[in-house]
Amino acid sequence: MNFEPVLLRRWGKPNSQSLETYRADGGYTALQKALAMEPPRVIEAVQKSGLRGRGGAGFSTGLKWTFLPKDVQGPIYLCINGDESEPGTFNNRVLLEEDPHQVLEGIVISGYATKSTTAYLYLRYEYGDCYRACEKAIQEMYANNLLGKNILGSGYSLDIYLHRGACAYICGEETGLIESLEGKRAWPRIKPPFPAIEGAFRRPTVVNNIETMACVTQILDRGPEWFQSLGIPSEHPKDPGSYGPKLYCISGHVNKPGLVELPLGITARELIDQHAGGVWKGRTAKAVVPGGISMGFLSADELDTKLDFVGPGKAGCLGLGTAAVIVIDDQTSMVDVLYNTCRFFAHESCGQCTPCREGTAWSAKILARIRAGQGTLKDLDTLTDISNSIGIMPGTTICGLADGAAWPIKNALKKFRPEFEEYITSGRRSQSFEVAGSH
Amino acid sequence: MSTVFINDIEIEVGPKENLVQAAERAGVEIPHYCWHHDLSVVASCRMCLVEVGEKKPDGTIAMIPKLVPACQTPAKPNTVVLTNSERVKKAQAQTLEFLLLNHPLDCSICDQAGECYLQDYTYKFGNAHSRLNEPKVQRVDKYHIGEQIALFTDRCVMCTRCVRFTREISGTSELQVTNRGSMEEIDIFPGEPCNNKLAGNVVDLCPVGALCSKDFLYKKRVWWLKTQNSVCQGCSTGCSIHVDQEDNRLYRLRPRENELAQGSFMCDEGRFGWKYVESESRLFGPRVGKLQVASQHHVAHVGNGSHASGNGTMVSHAQVALNELATVDPWPKVLDETRQAIKSVVDSGADRFAVVLSPMMFCEEAFILAKYIKSVNKRVMLALGVVPLVGEDDVYPKGPKGEPPAAGKAKFTIRAEKCPNRLGVEAVLKHFQGEVLRFETIADRLNTNKLDGMYLVGGYPDAWLDESMLSKFDGLSTLIVQDFLNSPLTDRATIVLASATFAERQGTVVNHAGLAQEVQQSIRGATDVRQDGRLLFELSQRQGMYNAASIRTEMAKEIPAFSAIAGEIGELGIQLFNTVEGKSA
Amino acid sequence: MSGLTEVAKQKIRDLLPCYPSKQAVTLPALHIAQEEARCVTREAVREIADILELSPAQIHDTLSFYGFFKDEKHPLGDNRIWVCRSLACMLRGGDELLAEVCERLHVSPGQTTADGKATIELAECLGACDGAPCILVNDKLRLRMTAEAVVSLAEGRA
Repeated sequence: MNFEPVLLRRWGKPNSQSLETYRADGGYTALQKALAMEPPRVIEAVQKSGLRGRGGAGFSTGLKWTFLPKDVQGPIYLCINGDESEPGTFNNRVLLEEDPHQVLEGIVISGYATKSTTAYLYLRYEYGDCYRACEKAIQEMYANNLLGKNILGSGYSLDIYLHRGACAYICGEETGLIESLEGKRAWPRIKPPFPAIEGAFRRPTVVNNIETMACVTQILDRGPEWFQSLGIPSEHPKDPGSYGPKLYCISGHVNKPGLVELPLGITARELIDQHAGGVWKGRTAKAVVPGGISMGFLSADELDTKLDFVGPGKAGCLGLGTAAVIVIDDQTSMVDVLYNTCRFFAHESCGQCTPCREGTAWSAKILARIRAGQGTLKDLDTLTDISNSIGIMPGTTICGLADGAAWPIKNALKKFRPEFEEYITSGRRSQSFEVAGSH
Repeated sequence: MSTVFINDIEIEVGPKENLVQAAERAGVEIPHYCWHHDLSVVASCRMCLVEVGEKKPDGTIAMIPKLVPACQTPAKPNTVVLTNSERVKKAQAQTLEFLLLNHPLDCSICDQAGECYLQDYTYKFGNAHSRLNEPKVQRVDKYHIGEQIALFTDRCVMCTRCVRFTREISGTSELQVTNRGSMEEIDIFPGEPCNNKLAGNVVDLCPVGALCSKDFLYKKRVWWLKTQNSVCQGCSTGCSIHVDQEDNRLYRLRPRENELAQGSFMCDEGRFGWKYVESESRLFGPRVGKLQVASQHHVAHVGNGSHASGNGTMVSHAQVALNELATVDPWPKVLDETRQAIKSVVDSGADRFAVVLSPMMFCEEAFILAKYIKSVNKRVMLALGVVPLVGEDDVYPKGPKGEPPAAGKAKFTIRAEKCPNRLGVEAVLKHFQGEVLRFETIADRLNTNKLDGMYLVGGYPDAWLDESMLSKFDGLSTLIVQDFLNSPLTDRATIVLASATFAERQGTVVNHAGLAQEVQQSIRGATDVRQDGRLLFELSQRQGMYNAASIRTEMAKEIPAFSAIAGEIGELGIQLFNTVEGKSA
Repeated sequence: MSGLTEVAKQKIRDLLPCYPSKQAVTLPALHIAQEEARCVTREAVREIADILELSPAQIHDTLSFYGFFKDEKHPLGDNRIWVCRSLACMLRGGDELLAEVCERLHVSPGQTTADGKATIELAECLGACDGAPCILVNDKLRLRMTAEAVVSLAEGRA
């Protein structure tokens, strides 16, 4: 497919981070267009585009903005979620490292649309280069009246503050992020109230993803119709469709891991074969993570699944997630893979809700025992039971982390159960390079 | 009011109630750990999951597809709640299995056993076995977490009630959650233990055996304890409490929830301040006649069979008499002599005798004594005893620098007035004396030699007269002291009436806000100790037995201020006055 | 152990206007403290609590959640090297990389080498899966790592 990248078009160009380069390439014209519109018209444009949040949940961005109360007295906060931590995901890192102004322009436009008074860009600590790129870009913006008081003479004022995280996956959950921003442990909040009503500092708040901000810039620049022209249209009335370009991360056992921008809806097979150089070492894919490990696994015969907002769900996965594809080759043990995901969620469970705190740790322990050759077939039933009883889908947890922990277990034990059974009954053990750590 | 349906039981609920409370109204228990009505809602333990729906006007019911926490869900009109469906039962059993995964199951050595929500809920809602096949996480106990509290870390279910208490109620914020996920624990910041004056409440709040009271630790299995309703005597807040005793010994005091009184909590001064009940200085029997001692440092108790010992040699004719009557009740004779002593001073001049009613007395006791004295001679002066004031009212939650909360934000107050019933005794005094004479008035008369005799009621757990004042009593020919502790004053007394502590008595106290509450008798005193009510009942030669309710009925008839509390007054008490000034309601 | 320098305290105070609550400065303040002393001392926690009008326990509650901040008994080495062990890196030898690095440097994850030059940490997904196995050196990502390269970095040779 011939698709000219839009979000990534300055990636790799000289001085792609600078305001000068960005402006020379038409940067900040979208902001000028937005500032010439009434804020509700900007929201309408974003709603009309069909943009769905790129952070993982896929909620309509424009609709989210309309949940803010009308005629708010006092501050409204815009929190930008740069805590990208879903294993396999690095699209926001590239956007911020290479082209921070595109994202920051989207933040100012979104701030204007939502009448936000302050924006906090919550950035995971690991992205030091992003931090420095954003810091410099924000300085340039202040110096050029693109931030601060009375932006470009519009009467609209906005400050953006960079806020660095400290290595905790849960800060990517929007209310976990808010709690972390407020200086507390990042325990996600119970809802209602939703952030739009009572979010950061108990004020109306919008939380949006980095890539979503870049999309907002492009929607205002090129128009909602352009956005709608890309992707997969709505299949039925309840499906809001999968429109626009998407940054797909590809990693794992492929010849060319990397980031590629494509209209939503490419299949996993196309992505691997046409954009990642195929599975490495001449092997075939045994399983593919469709959108970060929370989403579960596609099996080898599900690779024609369209990676849009509905495709992975049809194949029994949790969803599109972050569209981060991890390819697992046919020489890899799914027991090891599942242990890795379970260990991850046990490490990252915030510990607030009993089922997640205990269930994630327990499942990791069971898999560790199976890998040590001490598993029983009954363990697989226990694992299935744990995976069915944790998460917001059954209603047993406050946030979706546990659903993300549960889905790889469910998918693995459904789609690869014979491999687990064979592993246990044959008394196999995994050669473990794992070393015990302090945390 | 709105109507909700709990497992087909239709029930009316109040505004702002959640589904746990609504179910409770319907007699249905929804198990929960993290939720407590005085703390913020966190909905994190996930023990209270239920199925919820809405009954539509056409009678159809639309259920929400997933489980929801009952604590977080408001009881809106027409809410339908299922607490016993298969899905709910499975979730409850699963949550319990999770909570018990790393729990040591050390019930046999756990103080909480018998009143533990892990035990109770597992019995009612849990599975009999765990599928855990891995080693349990071992955690280190933290005895250092507070002067009064110990943390048995591995029993904790991370409900965070204790942490929220220190942040939301005491405001002192000593407790924290440390670490993340399955490694998290309750802790303090090193070197800064949880010693605030409300700290003991975290033991009650802890639904399991994690936070224990060091004072009570390993003293008694809770199922042996018998509980009476009572009122804390520590200050004029008058916290409703439970008194737990076994075999005539007190083991602990716990707050008894009462929105009319203090709410759900009590302070540590009250909680642990009852030890004077078992003081070595307790008076064990009455005494007539002045002590003649070689040294006043050692005073043996009369009436408990112990004789003078050490270098304090005590000789009084009363003791000799009592020793002869060791198996005979000394009280009829003592009370006879007391009446005669009063009469002889009053006969020589009614204004040369004074009676001091302690604010530690119960209303009934003050009433009987005042009525009796006025029947002897109307002109005998009745006065209010010393009202102990210590510092300022201590109001919670504290701010970050220890400052009190803004007006209207108080959640708990430890009052400077360290007595339970000033208002009640004042109401009695107003009726019989026409005014409340302060102790200073009596002290003045004492200083100017205008008194020959005095009847003084004490009942204070701590020293309440200073040295300079004490010597003034030496000039009295008759000093009758009704008290439960030996003191320099009882040493000077011509008659000592060994009375009882609150735990051994029954009667009514009126707190700072005019709430009348009943103290119930929890234990019997020593053989020759008389409960104040009975003592005064017999002193005034009334017929029958002392009974607080019947005295209240009498009081209510005679004193308009007490008209609301005739007979039984219930567990929560009755609002008697509507202001702290003690105006009649 | 000593607390914050006056410079650090001033940096923290300067952040107060950026947020509507003092507590929100907790994470930035902890970063400032750790950058300065390679750990967050108890005294620093007390001082941060004092500036932010919180109890030390509240600051420590947040601090301990992240696993990022070191206490005074475990100060960081000159460089902190995080080795990713999440799925994308694991598939390309992340676990083996970490094991070899630890063996060659004689440390377990979370520990600092005897010469104080490097602290080795295990990390969850660092967001550089396109360059798996990857590491983070302080706050700079390094892609497509070999054990030799990591050891060189740790020994200050690269």
